Amino acid sequence: MDLIVCLKRVPQTAEAEVQIGPSGKEIVRDRLTFDMNEADSYALEEAILLKEKFGGTITVISLGLPDAEDTLRIALAKGADHAIRIKAEDFGELDGFKTASLLKDALVNVKFDVLLTGCVATDDSLYQVGPVLAELLGAPHATLVGKIEIAGEKAHVNRELEGGLIEHLEMSLPAVFAVQTGINEPRYASLIAIRRAAGKEIKLLGKDDIPSEHRVNSTLEKLFVPPAGKRAEIMTGTADEVSARTASLIKEKGLI
Amino acid sequence: MNFDLTSDQKMLQDQVRKFAQTELAPLAPEIDKSGEFPWPSLKKMAKLGLLGVIVPEKYGGSGFDFVSLAIAIEEISRACASTGVIVAVNNSLTTYPILEFSSEELKKKYLPQLCSGEKIGAFGLTEPNAGSDVAAMESTARLEGDHYIVNGTKRFITNGGEAGIYVVFAYTNRDLKHKGISAFVVERDTPGFSVGKHEDLMGIRATANCELMFEDVKVPKENLLGKEGDGFKICMNTLDVSRIDIGAQAVGIAQAALDEAVRYSKERKAFGQPICNFEMIEALIAEMATEIQAARLLVHYAGFCKDKGMQKFSKEAAMSKYYASDIAVDVTRKAVQIHGGYGYSKEYAVERLYRDAKILELYEGTSEIQKIVIARELTR
Amino acid sequence: MADILALVEHRQGAVRDVTFELLTCGRKMAGTLNAKLTGVVLGHKTDDLVARVRNHAHRLIVMDSEVFENFNAETYQHALVKIIEREHPYLSLFANTAFGIDLCPALATQMGYPFTTDCIGVEIVDGQVRATRQLYDGKLDAQVRLTAADSYMLTMRSGACPAEGSDLTAEVERIETLVASQPEYRKFIEYIEAAVGDVDITKADVIVGVGRGIKEQANMPMIEELAKALGGVVACSRPVVDANWLTKDRQVGSSGKTVKPKLYIAIGISGAFQHIAGMKSSDTIIAINKDPNAPIFNEADYGIVDDLFKVVPVLKNKILELKK
Repeated sequence: MDLIVCLKRVPQTAEAEVQIGPSGKEIVRDRLTFDMNEADSYALEEAILLKEKFGGTITVISLGLPDAEDTLRIALAKGADHAIRIKAEDFGELDGFKTASLLKDALVNVKFDVLLTGCVATDDSLYQVGPVLAELLGAPHATLVGKIEIAGEKAHVNRELEGGLIEHLEMSLPAVFAVQTGINEPRYASLIAIRRAAGKEIKLLGKDDIPSEHRVNSTLEKLFVPPAGKRAEIMTGTADEVSARTASLIKEKGLI
Repeated sequence: MNFDLTSDQKMLQDQVRKFAQTELAPLAPEIDKSGEFPWPSLKKMAKLGLLGVIVPEKYGGSGFDFVSLAIAIEEISRACASTGVIVAVNNSLTTYPILEFSSEELKKKYLPQLCSGEKIGAFGLTEPNAGSDVAAMESTARLEGDHYIVNGTKRFITNGGEAGIYVVFAYTNRDLKHKGISAFVVERDTPGFSVGKHEDLMGIRATANCELMFEDVKVPKENLLGKEGDGFKICMNTLDVSRIDIGAQAVGIAQAALDEAVRYSKERKAFGQPICNFEMIEALIAEMATEIQAARLLVHYAGFCKDKGMQKFSKEAAMSKYYASDIAVDVTRKAVQIHGGYGYSKEYAVERLYRDAKILELYEGTSEIQKIVIARELTR
Repeated sequence: MADILALVEHRQGAVRDVTFELLTCGRKMAGTLNAKLTGVVLGHKTDDLVARVRNHAHRLIVMDSEVFENFNAETYQHALVKIIEREHPYLSLFANTAFGIDLCPALATQMGYPFTTDCIGVEIVDGQVRATRQLYDGKLDAQVRLTAADSYMLTMRSGACPAEGSDLTAEVERIETLVASQPEYRKFIEYIEAAVGDVDITKADVIVGVGRGIKEQANMPMIEELAKALGGVVACSRPVVDANWLTKDRQVGSSGKTVKPKLYIAIGISGAFQHIAGMKSSDTIIAINKDPNAPIFNEADYGIVDDLFKVVPVLKNKILELKK
């Protein structure tokens, strides 16, 4: 089974303070740590599980700056066979559509049965790359995938809908799946695998390799801190004081 | 001159850090309290190749160098000091002397078991009356036919209660003083071997630190490491290597304390502002961070000396171990200080880190011994 | 000027609430553009669906076929291409739901229209569409301008435009189905209901919700004790389920359950919109989080900015004292 996984290196912002840089269009990067996008790490693990079950090869691809190679190399250590970096530095402003079109051009000669990616990246929250890439490649897709079972040419796929409901689909391969977090348990790379991955080649694709024009669908005009909406009444004081106030508040509401 | 980690070292650091923070750190307070040896964690680490970091692949190891081992030990210790030293002992005090000083047969027999986590290793050197003064050891091994008959008692043996394979030191000829000491590989299930009392330690409490008893233990002749009388040399060379890892463990513990202190100082408010705004706290944090960085560089340099194949790196190893343990005690103390009264409570990790750090100045050569090693390299 | 199109989303025979938000947004856009809002109903036995939304749009286009009984991005895409080619809308709106994001990006790509997803605001400036979106775990907003074109597509986040009543009477146009069957390469099989757990969090009056900030499973008992002291139940945000610390039936949010308890205490939850979507209708929300900028404080009624590990045990004791 030939597998492709699209990966993105993103700043880890879930528990970090995010500041806007001087241009007003980018964030201050230096105090953030960067790592594989969370949903993508599940997509990678799902590909490794499929490879373990059916054999074949995994190609990982990332559109990113040079440090994305660290992320690709980790993917190689975990079980990918080939890695490609599309040099983001060559392509100017990106959005979900342009990212997918560049990926498509890079992958046009790579055969695949299953192409996996995370359903969303935590930095741009677009949910776009999987389905747009599928459309450009002429393959069917499913997003928010929480389970994949493959038998022969068919895949049984569960999508996670709102309210805990699951949509069960039957799809034929090749197909593109944008997977949800939690679909599996991403592994750690073993030391031996790390050592072997260290020397592997990462293929670079730049402007000369992907010469065609790629348009963006949208242009970022500015970043700003979300306006405070209905702001909570913040209680101040020691843990003891705020807890006492909270407890009596709950009591006033008749809940104790 | 290049301070960058290599590509594989960077990946190793990334994966070990994630593993340790996710899988080991949550257990650290628990096993500190219970003293339970972290077998499930060790099995997971075996799968990742962390129990045989420097062992070549053909013996079931990962085939990394000593700087890489130090990086791994730092990350493991940053999450859990007990687990850090357990893994350090398995790597540098057990697999290393077997790899360096044993026959091909012994390597093939024991290294795969130690790398796979099937058995864990321990280092039987210290005795009730022989600590820094190694030559004061009382254990003996006498050759009878195809076996050495080993007698004696070892004390304060990390992993002692749970290990399956022991590197043990005993006199084969007491008249030759330290040149009469020999080293052996002893299996746990050999008749006459038993585990004695479990030490109730101040820190690193999950390390199965025990007394070992040898009563007419019959060890096959071929389990001798090197030649008869090589024991002291093997011991000193092995300790040179392991001191790099104790240095790494110290850096890991200190880094964990700094992480906690920085976070706390940003959250904790006094006089209407976060305490990290106060200059005295800033000074503490600056000192801690600088000490840690200096210690880490010493540790990496000592590993680099070993990797480069330097015959004599005792001084570099001793410097890294001495300095890193010294600052680990200092940094953890400062971290408690930054936490104020809370730092003295078991609710906060720094209380444990402070206790864990103290052993660093005592085991695998006290700080005083390290200074002797360093000074004598310069004066003799 | 061409009109606004909005897809009427339905599931298991019922129009989804988010559709009324979308139609409200569409009417507002139509109002500013002096245009009409056309709702698109793709369904089977559509009379009920049509009746439900008829007052909310100027016009309805209806395709009625078994093929559309359940959502399938492929059949929907096929049908919508035909409809959009015929209608030439200026703007097509979809809800940013599991259906909307499965459909809109591929559809817009096929049609070659600029689009963006998960918008919390939209306006027309100099004939171009400008959308507001959230980035970086909801910590920043971004203003983006769609590339100039004749037609645009957007998915709108649930909650971005609260539903308002309307007394329009849509002119209903039923058109030929155009799509014969589900394609072989993607077939809807069934809906699977979420497994029922031991506790039904949707029935609880008091919910203690816990998020990534709890750090590790070993800390869960602290949360359970607080919930017990309050006679409530423990629920959580997605990362806690992903880490297997709680089961899926405890998850609150867009891919979990929607809860409306009398009291919701959010502990170590930063407030990703998916989570907010599941608990924002709670009567009283109290949030405990050490990050003063966490989006949860924009939803909560009361906030405690502090280390949860310090506050939660004390809070439990205070509650137990008051119970005596």
